[in-house]
This record gives sequence, C-alpha cells and structure tokens, in this order.
Amino acid sequence: MGIMNFVPKVLDPVPGGKYVVNMVDYVVNWARANSLWPLTYGTSCCAIEMMSSSMARYDIARFGSEVFRDSPRQADLFIIAGTITEKMAPAVQMLWEQIPGPKYAIAMGACTISGGPFRYDNYSVVRGAEQVIPVDVYIPGCPPRPEALFNGLLKLREKIMKESYRNPWHEGETSKAGEIERWAEASKAWAAAEKIKDEEMAAAREAFKANPPEDYVAYKPVRVAKEAFPDVERPVVTEIGKSYKELYKIAKSVAPELSIFGKEDSSDETLDSLPKDLPLDVVVSKENYLKLVEFLKNDSRTKFEVLTDVVGVDWKDHFDVIAQLLSVEYGHKMFVRVSLPKDESIPEEKRATSLLASIPSLSSLFVGAELKEREVYDLFGIKFEGHPDLRRLFMPEDFVGYPLRKDFTHPHILKKPV
Amino acid sequence: MSNLPPGFREPSVEGEFEEYYLNMGPQHPSTHGALRLVIRLTGETIIEVVPHLGYIHRGMEKQAENLGYTQYIMMSDRQDYLTAIQNNLGVCLALEKGAGIGVPERAEYIRVIMTELGRIASHLVFYACYGGDLGGQTVLLYGFKEREMIHDIFEEVTGQRLTTNFFRPGGSRMDVPDTFIPRVKAFLAHLEKTLPDYDRLLTKNIALVERSVGVGKLTKEQALAYGCSGPVARASGVNYDVRKNDPYSIYSSLDFNVPVMYNGDCYDRYLIRWQEMYESIKIIKQCIEKFPAGPYRSKEKPNFKLPAGSFYAASETAKGLYGTYVVSTGGANPYRIHTRSPSFSNVSAVNAMAKGEKISDLVTILASIDPVIPEIDR
Repeated sequence: MGIMNFVPKVLDPVPGGKYVVNMVDYVVNWARANSLWPLTYGTSCCAIEMMSSSMARYDIARFGSEVFRDSPRQADLFIIAGTITEKMAPAVQMLWEQIPGPKYAIAMGACTISGGPFRYDNYSVVRGAEQVIPVDVYIPGCPPRPEALFNGLLKLREKIMKESYRNPWHEGETSKAGEIERWAEASKAWAAAEKIKDEEMAAAREAFKANPPEDYVAYKPVRVAKEAFPDVERPVVTEIGKSYKELYKIAKSVAPELSIFGKEDSSDETLDSLPKDLPLDVVVSKENYLKLVEFLKNDSRTKFEVLTDVVGVDWKDHFDVIAQLLSVEYGHKMFVRVSLPKDESIPEEKRATSLLASIPSLSSLFVGAELKEREVYDLFGIKFEGHPDLRRLFMPEDFVGYPLRKDFTHPHILKKPV
Repeated sequence: MSNLPPGFREPSVEGEFEEYYLNMGPQHPSTHGALRLVIRLTGETIIEVVPHLGYIHRGMEKQAENLGYTQYIMMSDRQDYLTAIQNNLGVCLALEKGAGIGVPERAEYIRVIMTELGRIASHLVFYACYGGDLGGQTVLLYGFKEREMIHDIFEEVTGQRLTTNFFRPGGSRMDVPDTFIPRVKAFLAHLEKTLPDYDRLLTKNIALVERSVGVGKLTKEQALAYGCSGPVARASGVNYDVRKNDPYSIYSSLDFNVPVMYNGDCYDRYLIRWQEMYESIKIIKQCIEKFPAGPYRSKEKPNFKLPAGSFYAASETAKGLYGTYVVSTGGANPYRIHTRSPSFSNVSAVNAMAKGEKISDLVTILASIDPVIPEIDR
C-alpha cells in the first residue's frame, strides 16, 4: 500500500481533498475491520474457547472472522491463544513476522497478559505476549469466554476504524521496559489510585455522617449458620490381584536386599499393615534394579507388562527414581524405587549443571520408557545408562540447570511477593 | 547411521526416492496444539517420526512445590483442558488417600455424573476434530454443538465452562443446584436423539472408512510396551479400564461395559470412543435414578495438609490412565507432585503407528490419538 500512503500528502492541500481522504480511509477501514482473518494458532486452554467461538453456538462469522487460516501468509489477525513458553517464543515471533501487514494481535487470556497463573515461581513461561510481539487488544480471563473474545474483536474493530492514511498503520513496538520496572510503575500507579480513593471515600463518609438520608437504617450483619459437614469414613478396600505378601516374596527371591519404602522391617505384620489402596513400594539396589524389573515383567505370577511412569524425587542428599509398574492382567501395581546418592566428587560450583547420579535404563524392556526417562534426565539431571537417545525432552538443548532439583535457581524465576 | 539428526535411528532405505525430512509444528492445525514432529520420509512413505516436546512446558510440577495442596487442583485444570473435571477428580483422589478423608454418597454421585459428562464432552471434541482433520468441516460444527450444552451444565454447577476447579478433597466446592438433575435428564434425552444421527453421519462415511481402516496399526504388545492407556490401548485389545479394574468412587456399584476392540487401527480408536459415549450415558442414567440427598462434602479442614509419605491415585480420564503421585513431608506445600498423563504415553507410540504409512495418514493417526499437548508437557 505504498502509494496509498501518499494520498493525503497530495490531496489534503487541494480544496475539498481532505474529504476524499476521509472517505478513502473510511472505505478501507470498513473493509479491513469487517474481514479479519485469524490465524489458526493455539497452545493451550484458550485455543479451545477460540474454537468454541467459531462453532455453531457462538459463530464468529457474525463478525467476519470465520476464515481461520492455517498459513500465516493468508491471515491478518493473530489471536494469541494460550501460554507462550520460552521455547515457543521464537516460533510465535516467526509467525508474527510471516503475517503480512496490516496485521493485528489479540492477546487472549491471562497467560498472554502477564503469565497468569504461571507468573511466579516459574522458569519457563514468558510473562505476557507483549514481550515477544506488539499487541493491540488484551482479553482477560482464564480462559476468556467466547463472548469476551467477541468483545475484544469489537474493540479491535473500533481501533481499526480510527486509522487513517495520514498516519499509516504501523506494526507497533514490543514492550521495551523491563519486567520489574513495569511492575514497579504499575504498583506505584495503583498505590496512588488507592490513596485518592481512600481520601475520596473518607470525605464521602464524613459527608454521609453529617447529613444521612431520612430512611437510613444502620447495617446489621446477619450471622449465617455455618453448614456442618459430617466426618465420613473411607470405605474398606481390598488388594487387587496378588497380595502384598506374595508380591514381596516373589520380588525378594530375585533381589535379596529388597526392603519396603519407609518401613524398618519387612515382616508379615508390616506387610499386612500397609495401606491397601496404595501400591507396594519397594526399595531395591541399583545393581539389581534392571534384573528385578525384567523378572517382574516376565514372571507369570506378576506380569508387570506396563511401565506407567518413571518418576524422580530429589531428597536433598539423594535422588529417588521410581518405576511405576502395572499389571493389566491381574490389576496389581508396584513401585520399584532406587535410592541414588548424589555424586560428591563434583566440585560445588559445577554441581548445578552436571549429572549427579546414574541408573540403568529400562528402555531395553519397555520402549515407552525412553521418553519417560528422558523427562527425568531433563528435569533432574540423572543419567540413564544404556539409554539409546538421552537428550533433553522439555527444555531447550541449551538450557542450563535441572529445574526439579530442590536447589535449582534460574534468573527468569520471579519470587511471589508475600 | 551416524550422520542422522538426533532421535533418528532407522537404517536407510534403498529405494527409488530420496530420503528427506519434514518438520510439522510446533504451529500446525493438525497437531492439536504446540506439538512438533520431525518426519523422515522416502517419497510419501514415513520411515520414522520423532516427537519434539516441551513447547508448552509450563513447569507446573516445580510451581506446585510453592502452592498449597488444594491450589494444585487449579493446575490440573490447565493440563488437559478437555477433561478438566476428570483431572480435578484424579488429584482429589490422591489427596483423599493421603489425608484419609471419606466422601459422602451424594458427593460421589455428583462426581460420577460430572466426570462422565466431561468424558462425553471430550469425546465429542474428538469426534469433531477427527472429522475436521479428515476434511469434514460439518462434523466440526456438530460435535461442538452438543458440547456447548454440557458446558452450560458445567457453568451452572461450577461457575466455569472449561477450567472447572470444582472438586475438593472430601467432596466438591459447592452443592449442585436443584435444576441440575432435571437439566442433565433433559440433556441426555436430547443427546440420545442426536448422537445416532451424528453416528450415521460419519461412521459409515466412505471417505472416513477409507482413510482410517487399517491405518496406524498398533498391536497389543506395542500398546503395552509404550504404556498406552485409555481408548488407544483398548482399541488394540488391552482390556484395562481403571474404572473397572481398580474402581474408585462408586464405579464398582454401577453397571457398565468396557468396550474393547482388537484391530488397533484408527477406525477402531474412533469406534471405541462412540461406544464409550453410549456407556457414559448409561452410567449417568443409573446415577440420576439413585441420586441421593445429603451433604455434598465431608468435614472441611482448614489448612489442608497431608501426613508425611507418598500417595498415588489412578483415575480414568477420557484420554486414559491419569495418575497423581504426591510426596509429602508433612508441610503445608507438597514436596513433589507428579502427574502421569495419558497423552504422554499415547503420543510416544506415534512412531510405531506411523511407520510405513503415508504422510497424509499421519494426520489421521494424530487425530485418532486425540492428544492434548499441555497435558504432555505439563
């Protein structure tokens, strides 16, 4: 639209020319505002509400935006639906750059305004879309209702209708001010507003007391009886599949050093006293871990064919890695836990960035263990020996540190003010 | 072998076409969110698919260490937003086990009705997206139509359409309104009329059948090895449903079937969700008949805390086995909360399903898994 930008310069000095410019503006804006084609983009919850709004009940077609384009090159509205993470941010930026101008962005949902529920104590969420791309309209909500999205869309239309070739469309800027400064500014403004409000309220109260209306009756609080809820007993549950005693004996035959997690001894009374609705949680040595899991998988009495999950826990002085096993045939579950002491030979300053423990990988037994072990590797920094493809899973390859360790720190984390 | 990009390990195929790589995502209409797949192809045939995850990793498990126990229920909404109410239940089950809280009868019925409605809503989205991904835009509109009615009920009961945050350890946040049961009844009457219509619209459709029968096969052994659960595993002949095999709430007293199919292809995964919807309707009907009066929660405990120990609860969401593992040291915050998300295991099997299929079938396979990406990344 390069030539169009010169229209006001040529026509405005001509008598009556500015009316022509106004009319051109109106026609062009009308066309733009009534056919905003959004990009099909969504990362999380808001995307579903965006989809809902384009369906039969809410019908975004009433606002001329029903043509969701899969390619950014055909779109002119970017509804940023859902949280943006550090890993996703470059993709969002690239999508925005691929949309031809004039283009507009709507930040949908709390995550794209400030990080929303993920603002504090979080190492991976970008706090607000404006850090990445310039935003025209913000819609609060978690997630916003479709009606709220339409309200945002109408607000954007109002904005577009005010555009003019005298001041041509410009992409706008991402927020340059730092996160902390903006926060400080906002809280200062808020405090000032609160102060004015307090003063106004005090004055109003004075005025009210001095001159109360005739039908004024002082407010008397009504005490609502608190609902009394009963104490309910938990129903008695029985073990599913093999009993703990049998499972324990079978496992003990392979790994003699086996013990029950959190218990001193492993007598029959202890096994009987274990809560029946929790799986049997056994601790095994690192050497026998693979052997035991393989045995439990193949033995016809246990048949733990499914590895539901691999979980890591950081206990400050050692790690626990728990293989959660499930037998589809019998229905019983078992947690096989290995306690891994942290490697003390690594110097203090390198501990945060280095692998502190290692454990044999289960990927030779269960194919599904590959991704699950990569998750533990990524978040805890535990090495899996014999894993065919040990890379970071969730965090980018160049991420420093292992987030789920208890001593993890990251410059991105914003502590919640108490 | 050594010069392959990370993650790829299949030997090269000697054929008439050259090998090449294709990137799908993280922004793609058919990946249902921020999922990135790198595909290795020869001609149009897929050699290998490598998923790259973490584009919506929000660090929920780290954040949970600074939240209270009941505050984590809010996080579970945002994991799988299609089955938010079932995730709420999954977390609450684990917390109840830890604190030793029982649930009154009425609360159990509320829970079952709400979660089964959520299951129907989720499967309707599956139906809509499966049709939509295969090119049937009409189906997309129909699937969402009935879902909105479920959301109306949710909104009346919980105050939110999508992220319900409704259940609490020992019951629910509030009682259901008097209009709840009549409304559910009316909705079921409506659904029983319309569902067969939708079934007829798509299930025998030649375009759908041609594109999904025999596509994306997953054998029973593979399904077990990958840890698949839910409809994906049951379509491959794995007869496991947490509601039946490890019953929680009042599922043991209800009469319903667990549909199992044996071909393990996309069409079976599609059909099994239809049968589950009909089973859910059956369950809700039974609950409505017996819906009791009484308290909607057990005794409220301020400053909810768990005793030291680790607790685990599994529940069946629309996607599969949802497990919550809570480690407590007795403090006000959990020491560690881990979620076993069904979509994570199901998506890890995408390589096994897509191997040897054509590139366009990958869209069918992904749609038939019905993954929700924030649940994978958490």
